[in-house]
Amino acid sequence: MLLVTCPVCHASGDETDFHFGGQAHVARPATSNPEGISDEQQREYLFTRINPKGLHFERVRCDRGCGKWFHAARDTMTMEFKAFYGITELPPDHVIKQAKGAWAEYFTMRMKKQK
Amino acid sequence: MLEPRFESALALRGEPTTTYVSMREITTRGMIDLRGLTSDRKFMAAAKAVLGFDLPKAPRTSNSFGDVKVLWLSPDQWLVLCAREKAPSLAAEFAKATENTHALAVDVSDMRSIIRIEGEGSREVMMKGCSLDFTDADFTPGYVRRVRFAEIAALFTIVDASTIDLYVFRSYANYAWDFLLKAARKGSEVGLFNGR
Ligand SMILES: [Zn+2]
Repeated sequence: MLLVTCPVCHASGDETDFHFGGQAHVARPATSNPEGISDEQQREYLFTRINPKGLHFERVRCDRGCGKWFHAARDTMTMEFKAFYGITELPPDHVIKQAKGAWAEYFTMRMKKQK
Repeated sequence: MLEPRFESALALRGEPTTTYVSMREITTRGMIDLRGLTSDRKFMAAAKAVLGFDLPKAPRTSNSFGDVKVLWLSPDQWLVLCAREKAPSLAAEFAKATENTHALAVDVSDMRSIIRIEGEGSREVMMKGCSLDFTDADFTPGYVRRVRFAEIAALFTIVDASTIDLYVFRSYANYAWDFLLKAARKGSEVGLFNGR
């Protein structure tokens, strides 16, 4: 049983009190560019997901608690949670630094955009 | 025109004699679903003007004055408890006071059934249905929490050391009652709270 802590209401509970919501930080291309998206972009958005061995970022809902969505950074190998953070936020810097592969590329891109 | 009439989902269930805690339904309580943002000062002030006291801001707490009690459910949701017959007018007062803010107040008195569990074993019986540790110091009177209880969505408040009010959606009331009958059957005591 995984123990989850909601960053909104700070309740800790069993994973059964929470609802898993798939990969985090998936941006819908049609939101920023409704006219100009290609089939490939839409396909990527709908079906292509990162499936890393190690650090991964996911969405979770405080299903039986405050009802809010949030993010979790989890190691898929050890099942250890590295961080819980808000739904509009990026993970804490020290967790971003541990990201590898596709996630490292994604966060580098996000950091550039922020600047 | 037909007048709306309240019918309890648990009307046919008598108070059990087979359990080591007492169980009864509370039918006289009205409930109002109040939504608005904690960060919206205008909304918080309007709610206070209607209630005469502040909405609770801290997670899993409640505030009360007189016969009105407010349970914190989320940073943008509260459950206001009052006398059943008072709920429609109180909901209307909230709606009027918050009409210029992004808010919502609805009388949901018939949405949930309330089961009062009383006795030394009340916390223990709750623990048989959910993952929470009721021996934790957090669980003081006034504590409110939504939780997965017996596989269904539930809400409970700690009324005092040996009394818990369990709120379940109306359609689950009989299921929850049956679960409690089994979980609290005499002879199944664990004795976790004996003398506490
Ligand atoms: Zn929460």
